[in-house]
Amino acid sequence: MLNVVAEFLPEVLLLVGALLVFLLDVLGVKRSELLGAIALGAILLALLAVLADLGTAGLGVFRTLPASAVDLPAAGGPLYDFTSLGLIFQAIFLLPAGLVALASLSRPSGEKGAAIFFGLLQTATLGMLLVALASDLIFLLLAVEVTGISTYLLVGYSRKDPRQIEAAMKFYIVGALSTALSFFGASLLFGAYGTTSLTALAAPPSYPDLALFGYGFLIAGLGFKLTLVPFHAWAVDVYDGAPTDVSAFLAGGSKKIGFFALLLVFVGPLILLRLAPSCTGAGPCVVGVLPAHFSDAIQLTLGVVAVLTMTFGNLLALLQKEMKRMLAYSSISQAGYMLIGIALGTAPGITGATMQVLAHALMKTGAFLAVAAAASLGVGPLIDDWRGVGTKHPLFGAAFALMLLGLAGIPLTVGFVSKFVLFSAAVQAEGLFVWLAVAGLLNSAVSVFYYARVLKAMFLDTDPSAPPPPLGLPEPGPSFAERVGYGRCAAIALIAVAVVGLGVYPGPVLSGIQTAAQHFLTVGV
Amino acid sequence: MVGLISLTLITLLVGTVLTFLAGERSRWVALGTSAVFLLEVGALFHGFTWLSTPGAVAAPTFSYAETVPWIHLDWLSIDYAVGVDGISLVLILLTAFLQIATVLYSWGETKRPAAYFGLVLLTGLGSVGVFVSLDVLLFFLFWEAVLIPMFFLIGFWGGPRRRYAALKFFVYTHVASIVMLVGLLALVFYSHAPSLDYTAISSSASSLPIVTQVFVFLALFFGFGVKFPIVPFHTWLPDAHVEAPTGGSVLLAGLLLKLGGYGLIRWGTELLPDALGHVQWILYGVAFLSIVWGSWVSLAQRDLKRLVAYSSINHMGIVLLAIAVGSQLGVLAAVLLMFAHGVVSGLLFMVSGSFHHAFGTREIAGVGGITPRAPVLATMTMVGALASLGLPALISFPAEFLALLATWDAIGYWVFIPLITLVVTAAFYLWMMQRMLFGPPKGIPDRAHDLDSAEAAGMALLVGLTILYGILPGLLVSVIQQSPVIRLG
Repeated sequence: MLNVVAEFLPEVLLLVGALLVFLLDVLGVKRSELLGAIALGAILLALLAVLADLGTAGLGVFRTLPASAVDLPAAGGPLYDFTSLGLIFQAIFLLPAGLVALASLSRPSGEKGAAIFFGLLQTATLGMLLVALASDLIFLLLAVEVTGISTYLLVGYSRKDPRQIEAAMKFYIVGALSTALSFFGASLLFGAYGTTSLTALAAPPSYPDLALFGYGFLIAGLGFKLTLVPFHAWAVDVYDGAPTDVSAFLAGGSKKIGFFALLLVFVGPLILLRLAPSCTGAGPCVVGVLPAHFSDAIQLTLGVVAVLTMTFGNLLALLQKEMKRMLAYSSISQAGYMLIGIALGTAPGITGATMQVLAHALMKTGAFLAVAAAASLGVGPLIDDWRGVGTKHPLFGAAFALMLLGLAGIPLTVGFVSKFVLFSAAVQAEGLFVWLAVAGLLNSAVSVFYYARVLKAMFLDTDPSAPPPPLGLPEPGPSFAERVGYGRCAAIALIAVAVVGLGVYPGPVLSGIQTAAQHFLTVGV
Repeated sequence: MVGLISLTLITLLVGTVLTFLAGERSRWVALGTSAVFLLEVGALFHGFTWLSTPGAVAAPTFSYAETVPWIHLDWLSIDYAVGVDGISLVLILLTAFLQIATVLYSWGETKRPAAYFGLVLLTGLGSVGVFVSLDVLLFFLFWEAVLIPMFFLIGFWGGPRRRYAALKFFVYTHVASIVMLVGLLALVFYSHAPSLDYTAISSSASSLPIVTQVFVFLALFFGFGVKFPIVPFHTWLPDAHVEAPTGGSVLLAGLLLKLGGYGLIRWGTELLPDALGHVQWILYGVAFLSIVWGSWVSLAQRDLKRLVAYSSINHMGIVLLAIAVGSQLGVLAAVLLMFAHGVVSGLLFMVSGSFHHAFGTREIAGVGGITPRAPVLATMTMVGALASLGLPALISFPAEFLALLATWDAIGYWVFIPLITLVVTAAFYLWMMQRMLFGPPKGIPDRAHDLDSAEAAGMALLVGLTILYGILPGLLVSVIQQSPVIRLG
C-alpha cells in the first residue's frame, strides 16, 4: 500500500490538496488566500516529486519512484505504466496549473466559489497526471473524463455571468459527445485487437479495417479535447465565455491531454508502420498481415487534420477583433503544429511536438493571465482596447509582447525553438512530410500578422479615448502590482523569463525530452 | 576565453541594454558603445589572418572562428559558431561607421531618446550577428532580430503612415525569411550534413542532386531577394523608407539591404555554385528588371526621399547583377558596391532628412537655391548626389566600374542595360541638384537654417569615407579579397 502511495505521490498530493480545500470550505473557512496557497503548495510539491522522479540532478533526495520502475520494457502494470516521456508530460501539465493557482491568489479575499475553483483546479490536474500514466485505453479515457468533468464545472463555477453558464453548458455537451465518440472508437479497437491494452496496439490487428474505424472515432473524440479542426468549434466560445483564469488553464493546460492521449493511442500503430516497410530490426515482421492502405490512411489522416487545424485556426484568428477569441483561434492553430509530431511518429518528431506542447503551455497560459491582468486595469475585451497599454505599462507590455512573439515563433523565444525543432524533424523525416514543414512555416508566417497587430496596438497606437495626462505631478495611486495583484504579476514575470530562458538555452530540456522520446518509442507504451 | 567577435557582440548587447536604461544620457552611452565597437572592429582588422597564397585554400577558412556547443540532439546539432572572412569584415566595418554616423546625426532626437538609441544599437547588433554567424540557426536568429528594432523605429518614430509601413515591412521580410529558412533546412537535412555549421554544410552541399540544389537555391534567392529588394517584391521599401525616421532610413538602406546581399553570397552562391550556373538567367532577368524599374520609377519621384529609395533599388539591382555573374570579380564588385551604397545612401537619407528639418519639405519642386542659405547642407547634398551617380574619385565609381566590368566579361553587350540606366540616374541627380541647390531661392521659410553641428558631424563622417575610399578603393579591395569564395572562384 505504502508502495503505491510512493509511486503515485504527485497524484496523491493533488487529491489530498483538493479534499482539504473542499473540507475547509465546508468548515466555513472561506479565505481564498489560504485555499489558493494549499492548491499552489500541492501542485508545487507534485511538480517537485515529478521532477525528482525524472532523475533531475539535485533532487535525488525527493525521489519516490524507483528508477527501475520507469521505462520498463513491455509494461509494468496492466493499466498504468511509468515512462519518462509520461513524467515529462506530467511536469508540463503541472506548470500551467501551478501558474494559474499562483495568479489566482490575487482574487479578492472571501470571494464566493474560491474553494470550488481551487479544488476543481487540482482534480482537473489530477486527471491530467493520470492520462500521462495510462497504458490501457479504458484507463486513458477515464482519466480524460476526470479532467473533463472538473473543467466543465470550472467554466461555470462562479454562476454569475450568463455567458459563463452558456459556455459551461456548451463545453459539457460537446465534451459528452466527444466521450461517447472516444468510447465507441475504443470499443471498435477492442473488437479489432481483442484487448484494450495500448501495448497491444503495436501488434497487427485481427481486423485492420475495423481498427481504422476505431482510430477514426478516437481522432474525433480526442480531437475535441485538442481542438483539432473540424472538432474545434466549441473552444472559441468556451475560452471566450469562461473566467479568464480558467481559460488560461483550459488553453494552456487541460487541452494538452488530448495531445498525449492521441500520442499514446497512435504510437503503437506508428511503431508498426515504421517497422513494416523494411521488415528489419527487432520487431516482428508484419508486412503480410496488414493491407497496404493501413499505414497511409493513418498518417495521411493525421497530416491532413494537422494542416487543416493550423490553417483554419490561423485564418480565423486573422479576422478576430476580440483578444480572447483571437487567442482561442491561435490556440487551435498551435494544436495543428503539435499534431505534426504524432503524424511523423519519429523520435525527433515527438521531441519537437513535446517541446511545442511545453512552449504553448507556458505562452498561452501567460497570454490569458495577462489578459486577465489587463482586465483588472480596465482594458476592454477588444484588441483595439489595448491601444497604448504598452507605452503606459512598459514592463507589462514587454512581458505580454514576449508571449505573443513566442506564439508567433520569433527567435530567442521558446516558441521559436519548439517550432524549429518540430519543422526540422519534418524536413529530416523526408518524403511526403516536407509538406507538413512547409505548411507549418507558411502558417507561422501568416500568424505573425495577427500577433503583430496586437503589438502595434500596444506600442504604436495611442488611445484616443484616454484622458490627456494631468498637468503637474501625477497623483500617487495604487501601483501596477497592487492593481493587478502580486501573485498574478509574479506568474506573468515567471512565464516571461521562462519564455526567453528556454528560447536562449533550451539544450538540457531538449536533450531530456529527446532521450525520453527515444525510450518511449523503443519501449512502446 | 571569449574571442574578439563574441566580445564585440557582448559590447553591443551590454551597450544596448545600458542605452535603454540611461534616459537622457542615452545618446552618450550610445556614442560610447559605437566608439568602442569601432575600436573593436579595428582590432579585428589588426589581428586578421591574411590568407597566404592565392587559390591555396581548399575549404572556407574564417578568422577568429569560435564554436561553442549549443543544442545537441542526436539528429540536430546546433552550435554558437562565429567567424569572419574578408567579405564579412568589410560589412562589419560598414556597420560600425553607419552606427556611429546615425547616433551623431540623431543627436537631437527628443521623442523617447533612450528607446530610440537603444533600438539603433540593437539593429547594429543584429547586423553584426548576421555577418559573423556560421551556423544556420544563429544566422536566422540574428536575421530575424534585426526586424524587431526596425519595426519599432519605423512604427514609433516614423511619418504619418508609419504604422502601415512598419507592418508591411515586417510581414514582407518575415515571410521571405521563412522561405529562406526552409531552404537552409532542406540544404542541411537533404545533404545529411552532420551539423548546422557552415563548414559542415559547405562540404556536404555538393552531394545533393542538382535538381534539389536548384530548388534550394531558388528558395534562398527569394528569401534574400526580398531584403535586396528585388522587383517585384520591392514595394515594402519605398513605404518603409518614406515613413521611417532619418536614422531608421540610414540603417535600413545602409545595413538591412546589405544583409540580403551578404546572405545571397555567403549562404547562396558560395554553397551552391552549380545551382547558380543553372538559374543564372533568372538572376540576370530579375537584376535587369530591378535596375531598369528602380531608375525609371525614380525619374517620376517628386519627393527627395522617395527618389533615394528608388535609386537604392537600382543600385542593389547592380549588386545582384554582379553576384549573378558568379566570378571572383563579380563577388568583389558586389561587396564593394554594397559598402559604397551603404555609405552613399546613408548620406543621401541624412540629406533628405535635413531638408525636411531645415526647410519643412522634401519636395524637389518645393524648395530651390538653398546654397547661400545653407552652404554646408548644399555641399553634403552635392557630394552624396555626385557619389551616387558614379563620379570618379568618389566611392561608388570603382565599385560600379568593377561590377560593369564583371558583367561585360560574363555576358558582353547586355552590360548596356545597366550602363544606360546609370546615365539616366546621373541626369536625374544633376537635375535635382540644379533645382534644389542652385538658381533663385524659392520656398525657403524664414526659420530655415543650415545643419546643426551634430547633423553635420554625422554627415561629415560619411563624406570623409566617400572620398577616402573613392581615392583609395584598394584599402577595401585588399580585404574583400581575403575571402575563400573570391580566391577559389
